Amino acid sequence: MYLTDEEQRILDGKCGDPQRVALRVLVKLGEACGAERMVPIVSAHLVASSYQIAGEAGIEIYSQLVAQGARVAVQTTSDPGSIDFARWREFKTPADYAARQVKIAELLDRMGVIPTWTCTPYATFNLPRFGDHLGWSESSAVVFVNSVIGARTNRLAAYVDLCAALTGRVPYFGLHVTENRRGQVVFELTPDLTADFADHYFPALGYLVGQTVGDKVPVIVGLRQATFDQLKAFGAASAASGSVALYHMVGITPEARTLEEACGRQAPAERVVVGRREIGAVMEQMGGVVDGPVDVVGIGCPHASIDQMRRYASLLEGKRIHSGTELWVCTNVVVEEMARKMGYVGIIERAGAKLMVGTCHNDCPLGAWGFRRLMTDSGKFAYYTPTTVGTQCVFGSTEACIQAAIAGKVERS
Amino acid sequence: MSQPQRVLQGHGCAVGQFEGEVVVSQQPFGFWQGLDPESGVVIDKRHDCCGATIKGKAFIFPYGRGSTGTPGIFLEAVRNGCAPAAIINVKSEPMIIMCAILAEAFFKVAIPIVDGLELATQEALRTGDRVRIDGATGRIEILARA
Repeated sequence: MYLTDEEQRILDGKCGDPQRVALRVLVKLGEACGAERMVPIVSAHLVASSYQIAGEAGIEIYSQLVAQGARVAVQTTSDPGSIDFARWREFKTPADYAARQVKIAELLDRMGVIPTWTCTPYATFNLPRFGDHLGWSESSAVVFVNSVIGARTNRLAAYVDLCAALTGRVPYFGLHVTENRRGQVVFELTPDLTADFADHYFPALGYLVGQTVGDKVPVIVGLRQATFDQLKAFGAASAASGSVALYHMVGITPEARTLEEACGRQAPAERVVVGRREIGAVMEQMGGVVDGPVDVVGIGCPHASIDQMRRYASLLEGKRIHSGTELWVCTNVVVEEMARKMGYVGIIERAGAKLMVGTCHNDCPLGAWGFRRLMTDSGKFAYYTPTTVGTQCVFGSTEACIQAAIAGKVERS
Repeated sequence: MSQPQRVLQGHGCAVGQFEGEVVVSQQPFGFWQGLDPESGVVIDKRHDCCGATIKGKAFIFPYGRGSTGTPGIFLEAVRNGCAPAAIINVKSEPMIIMCAILAEAFFKVAIPIVDGLELATQEALRTGDRVRIDGATGRIEILARA
């Protein structure tokens, strides 16, 4: 692998131990993946900020790096933690568990990480530009910035993201390289589906696409428009059910003004037709509606935007959540503050719902709750819920989720 | 040194030496929510090796189902001495290779990884066989049958 003089100096230990160890990790990764050189990055985003992911091993690694004086070299943000720092007692998080997450927070602070505690850093303080090279992990954020913004990052692993942050570099391979960003599998949506494309079809379609393509680059044809939040929901689902790191939506995402551009002017290898029947089948698989009580309703995955908070508030205004059901709204502290100022938080809390800030159902220990059935509007939650929360899952629209929280049950309409 | 009964040649993805038992799976595996890092036991109920101990063994599976949190669980297992001591895949994705690189960088533990072995070749191995693995050359020697 070609290294610049400065990179060689770092490897020789002239810039301290943290940088030397971090660059060595990145060089080895590059060698294993056929990279010929490193590329400077604009920012990093860390997924092992959560105690659930980092564990004691993470605390040991971070402590060692902090003791050696490690500081991030580029703008770096943190993924959700495993506790709501302000309300962990309300969520029945054990105190010793919370203390370990607080320890991680202190260590990341000392390395200069911006404590965003969010899976949507691109909507807070870490907004990449088209063509920027990045060192990000968090699958839902990676797929968003690659696809919707046209920035370039591979799905880095926990700790490799920190190595990128400490050195300001990543090995140049995979999605950093233009040829690898070509669409490979084209999904054609039928007119019966696109004529009335509901909001919750976005996560459902993402789930279907992820299952179908694994880690290939999908191209979606037939949608005329999509909001920021719909693109976020689509990508997060595709990155959970598969490992999609980049998608193109013709006419919507920046590297797909035409189908030809999305496919890099080459014929795509595969075509898949998706109609109403296929979307119906995948929603059934994600967690079909079955009559009966719902213990917990989880919305805000990925973290809710201010627009989603407004929508939740309008659906909850003057309503009351059922006494046997929890409604948890996941978001970050930036959106929380703004939503509070705008009166949305007041409406949501008066209805009996809880804000879960800086974390989410997937990241928190929820054993003490004894939940049996969760309902969500998120394709990512729907994928992970059976293992992380250990519950049966019901998937539905945002409206259906809030309706179920008010009724305390879900009913087949 | 015991003489191999048979030699398989793969592609070395991470350096290190291993001699010991193998655990063979025919299914893709995700360490995140698949391995209990406190015991080294497979806990994914949907997996064909559920209940098997892979601590200290060579774990053989077609490819990884890699959440970006994979090294979190993997390094926790390394720290507890409960990680597999070697890995053999049909195709080793970057997420799995990163686990070995990080284990070496932060815990000074070398976990050899070899890939490029087709399913047919994997079927040459059965859980409980004894092998010697060289992660640098990709050479796998079958020493004894279960």
